[in-house]
Amino acid sequence: MKSHFLHMLLYATLVATFFGVLMRDTTRGRLRLAGTIWLVMVVGALLLAYLMFPFPE
Amino acid sequence: MAGQRDEGEGRLERKELQRTLGAVAAGWALPGLGHVLLGRLRRGLLFGGIVWSCFALGMAHDGRLALRDAKQPFLTGLQVIANLGVGPADMIARVAVYGSVVYRMPPATAPDAREIGETFRRRAKSGVSIYGTAYLWTAGLMNLLLLFDIWDLGRRRGVRR
Repeated sequence: MKSHFLHMLLYATLVATFFGVLMRDTTRGRLRLAGTIWLVMVVGALLLAYLMFPFPE
Repeated sequence: MAGQRDEGEGRLERKELQRTLGAVAAGWALPGLGHVLLGRLRRGLLFGGIVWSCFALGMAHDGRLALRDAKQPFLTGLQVIANLGVGPADMIARVAVYGSVVYRMPPATAPDAREIGETFRRRAKSGVSIYGTAYLWTAGLMNLLLLFDIWDLGRRRGVRR
């Protein structure tokens, strides 16, 4: 798989699930933390990419 | 009477410590197993699944199996530690990739230096190696974190929300 975007989604999902289960003991807490981590990773990366867009390589 | 009780508690404490240390060692040797040995089957299967998936993805994407390089000893040393986090699976992967369990870049005069160096560079140049390397390091670092979790569970510590 060469798609950077798909790798980012897969990686964020694995990491978010891992930390959600590791750091919280309730299902609700796990979902909240995993969701927050996933959103920060994915949306943060897209936002950073958008901010860097005007700069040349 | 009190002395007997203290002795009994001490024995229990030692037994519990041995059990926890055994689970930590098992968790390093086979990611997920440490939790299973402590009776946390679902947790062990989930964590094992995540770590093994990361490791498999890393190997499938030409992830760099780090070699300690004398030119950058600190950084490459940390990379090796991250790789070693998954336990013996890393050694098996090195045998499959380099032909032997090698952890440092061999000196130029070593007989296998050229072959190992070329294999290392070929994998690093692969278009997907950056993904693979991230997965491999993540698998190792996650498993190292899990060892602390196993320790906490074994010592009945760690209250979480």
